[in-house]
Amino acid sequence: MDNTLIDVKDLKVHFFTDEGVVRAVDGVDLKLERGRTLSLVGESGCGKSVACRALMQIVRNPGKVVAGEILYNRGAEGGQAEIIDIAKMDPKGKEIRDIRGKEISMIFQEPMTSLSPMYTVGNQIIENILLHTNLTKEQARDLAIKLLDQVGIPRADRLVDEYPFRLSGGMRQRSMIAMALSCNPNLLIADEPTTALDVTTQANILDLMSDLQKSYNMTLLFITHDLGVVAEIADEVAVMYLGKIVEKSDVYTIFNSPRHPYTQALLKSIPKIAIKREDLDPIKGMVPNPFRRPGGCPFHPRCPQAFAECKVLVPTTTQLTPNHSVQCLLYENFANRIATEQKQ
Amino acid sequence: MTAQAPLTPTKTVEMRDENTILEVNNLKMHFPITKGISTRVRGWVKAADDVSFFLRQGETLGLVGESGCGKTTVGRCIVRAYKPTAGEILYRNEDGSVVDLAALKPDEVRPYRKDIRMVFQDPYSSLNPRMTVLELISEVLKVNKLESSDTIQTRVGALLEKVGMRPEYMQRYPHAFSGGERQRIVVARALITNPRIIVCDEAVSALDVSIRAQILNLLESLQKEFNLTYLFISHDLSVIRHICNRIVVMYVGKVVEVSDALEIYTGPRHPYTEALLSSVPLADPNGREGRQRIHLEGEIADPSNPPSGCYFHPRCQYAKERCKTDAPELRDLGGNHFVACHFAEDLKLAAVIK
Amino acid sequence: MVQTTPMNKSLAPTPEEHVTESLDLEVASQWKLMWWKFRKHKMAIIGTVIVIIYYTMGMFAEFFAPTHFTTYNEQYVYAPPQTIHLFRDGKLDPYVNGYTFVRDPISFKKTWAVDETVVVPISFLVRSEEYKLWGFIPGSLHLVAADNPRDPFYLLGSDKSGRDVFGRIIYSARVSLTVGLVGVALSLILGIMIGGVSGLIGGWLDNVIQRLIEIIMSIPTLPLWLALAAVVPLDWQPLQVYFMITVILSLVGWTGMARVVRSKFLALREEDFILAATLDGVPRGRMIMRHMVPSFLSHIIASITLSIPGMILGETALSFLGLGLRPPVVSWGVMLQETQKVAVLAISPWLLYPAVAVIIVVLALNFMGDGLRDAADPYQ
Repeated sequence: MDNTLIDVKDLKVHFFTDEGVVRAVDGVDLKLERGRTLSLVGESGCGKSVACRALMQIVRNPGKVVAGEILYNRGAEGGQAEIIDIAKMDPKGKEIRDIRGKEISMIFQEPMTSLSPMYTVGNQIIENILLHTNLTKEQARDLAIKLLDQVGIPRADRLVDEYPFRLSGGMRQRSMIAMALSCNPNLLIADEPTTALDVTTQANILDLMSDLQKSYNMTLLFITHDLGVVAEIADEVAVMYLGKIVEKSDVYTIFNSPRHPYTQALLKSIPKIAIKREDLDPIKGMVPNPFRRPGGCPFHPRCPQAFAECKVLVPTTTQLTPNHSVQCLLYENFANRIATEQKQ
Repeated sequence: MTAQAPLTPTKTVEMRDENTILEVNNLKMHFPITKGISTRVRGWVKAADDVSFFLRQGETLGLVGESGCGKTTVGRCIVRAYKPTAGEILYRNEDGSVVDLAALKPDEVRPYRKDIRMVFQDPYSSLNPRMTVLELISEVLKVNKLESSDTIQTRVGALLEKVGMRPEYMQRYPHAFSGGERQRIVVARALITNPRIIVCDEAVSALDVSIRAQILNLLESLQKEFNLTYLFISHDLSVIRHICNRIVVMYVGKVVEVSDALEIYTGPRHPYTEALLSSVPLADPNGREGRQRIHLEGEIADPSNPPSGCYFHPRCQYAKERCKTDAPELRDLGGNHFVACHFAEDLKLAAVIK
Repeated sequence: MVQTTPMNKSLAPTPEEHVTESLDLEVASQWKLMWWKFRKHKMAIIGTVIVIIYYTMGMFAEFFAPTHFTTYNEQYVYAPPQTIHLFRDGKLDPYVNGYTFVRDPISFKKTWAVDETVVVPISFLVRSEEYKLWGFIPGSLHLVAADNPRDPFYLLGSDKSGRDVFGRIIYSARVSLTVGLVGVALSLILGIMIGGVSGLIGGWLDNVIQRLIEIIMSIPTLPLWLALAAVVPLDWQPLQVYFMITVILSLVGWTGMARVVRSKFLALREEDFILAATLDGVPRGRMIMRHMVPSFLSHIIASITLSIPGMILGETALSFLGLGLRPPVVSWGVMLQETQKVAVLAISPWLLYPAVAVIIVVLALNFMGDGLRDAADPYQ
């Protein structure tokens, strides 16, 4: 049975700036399975946030979804499939507004910027509930308190009337989660939700999110740059570099036997608590300027295993096993492509 | 370059031993709270309260804790960005004489500023965008007349090469560089005076994973080359584990545990250290199902209104009656392991490394 | 051509190898970056060009105006505007049409109308009425003037004494625009000094200054101007009055500037790069001049540009009410005083042209200021 909630095909999001076009997301394929956690990991500027914003059609100006499909199955699990393409929707249209905050919701890195300082936490959750359901105000308020309680906010019946600035960072992030869950979404997108938090608070929020995911049977798309967090929470991992997904598999495969040189290098470059090493193995160089993307494989200037073809051939997706794919010429049989591309 | 003579005669204070380069004793930094237009003090934020530790020549000491624990304040007191409210910061000069930096007046600190330097967290805000790299790095030499102006360029160029940058770049402005390169400039700026101690305040926290490793390696190789002593302030326990020889754990302005790096990870003696370590996400999914985390209840205490007794007791799962009333002293458990907990000997705490 | 041999070493740049976009950007100073950002702002560029034209015309009013602002012709009172015709009989020979009398059918008053049969030849860059540029450089070159100085040449009409409105608007620009500039300069000096003391020294002094600013700001501007202007003795020389008005305008204007400067100093004290400079042992004077002032100078320039229009409007309003500059000094406000009588305005609406001049320059300055404000921080 097909359990796919969202199937992203060849998504391209470009930013049209005065200095030129930035291909922030450059042909991303991604499948989100119901009830699973997919973690999108990469360094800053790799396009992970933009890709997720595209799923809700909230890419900031001057960014535009220029190509690709975001096929979303809004039918109930196991029921009749009802597939719509989010990529074709008008970002300001009614269709997508019905989905946002209801079927797909999002939490951000800094909850203070996404909670209005002018309204109480309760007001903001209640507003979202009233917008998307037929509940009365009282029912919505009860639901809000129940949700706040569920995300571990003590004395939720009193905190519902507090303004966000009165809460600590951890509490704010919990209220954001409560708000995101208020309409029982099919998909929760979390964009670096724990990056601004202390480790002890981060641990609590991560546990909370995986508990809630199980009880709501919700799909979680978790964006982070922190490989430690990925190892804690992800079922599937997609590694992004310069707008492309370079490797994708389940979390154990990614950490135990990464195949893409970038994934391997990334894992080698992080200090680990359990092992003391003499020297870290950093990736040489830096993420290139978005206006000066290297030709061929975008990673080739930093890749320790690069060879001549990497400069000219853009790698395509190679399926190593049914659930492990990689975009790297090391694993691709590219002899035919050279011939055909030379003819052209 | 000649070492400038201190302006005040150094006190005849004793430090722990010959090997100790810096010793912080009972350091207090309290900030007044005022409200509105009145200048009346309504209370004190005890950002650092009775902090004691020491730095050995050539080592890297990690100062860890969560936001608001006072680690940055301690670092800034040591570089004398702040004048401490009370306590001693004993510094051993190259000639062996000892001076209390905490007691010096602002202009008396000047000769020591070149010995104790700082690397900031954010390479975007710590470099004046209106000055070229050369101006940024050489300013300290100019204003303190540490180098004649015709040799400054050569010296800056040589140092840029040491930190992995091209000397030709010295005429450029900071906006021409990425975060990692800027942090190299910040490091060069700290190094230009041939310092003996560098306070690294979250020096790699703002950087990307791959760049972070580059800067950590750079710091390590520079330490070997120039025999530097680092005070490495960070909230990231993985980074601390990688770079530090010893670790000081702080909680709400107080030191709760000091020990050799490995010992903290293999056998923490303070319940807060245990909880902190168990919260660190391990970059290894294998066996994550069975992993047990300690959940800290409640929030970090407010440093202007801390709880009675042990500051950690409201969140401590082992707290007993005594913890609510008696504030524990930092005591030596032997083997250079210090801890501020009444029950350190009795508790069986979980370690992150078996 | 494709090689299949691994060439990992040569492909890999070392960390410091950073391919650069263009060397210009990397070594561009703050002002260069600001200019690059500013020139993208089209309205600001247009505004700037207009402002430059205004100030140039004001500065060389003697050259741009066909006649001196006191030159009158008692014959042509309230003559309507003429249009320049460049060609006569298919040849380049610029001229304007002369005037003829008509009787107003309602009031039976004699008024002037443009007579298309009369030709008044004019020339560009011609020597005509003599003048002394800025009062001491003699000259007689005009951008445009009637070939015969006695002929009527009123591009924007004439006023009750037969004086050229166009020429007077240009001479007014000199007065009105410099009132704005000098006023802003005075309030800038006051603002930076007082705001700097407030922000740098702080403590009780800061408190006193802030309360003082609040009190000054709470006084309604117009009555304050009126009161101060009323104190100016009637027998003062026009030049004295001019400086008095400027001082009055800036006494009210410095408070905003002082607040901006103070808040910039306070914000800068918290900046990491200031702390870094402190740890470098940078002395106080160098800290202020080298690190602090350059970081907000561009903001200050933007905000003074935005406060010049207020000064210009203030002068115009005061003069219009008869409390500012007085004839024979000519400013836009002085010229507009004539339009206070509706009857005059009804038969000679061209007397409102000075108001058009005010509106255009105020808008232009605002656009320019907006552009400068957006460009003021090129590091975002």
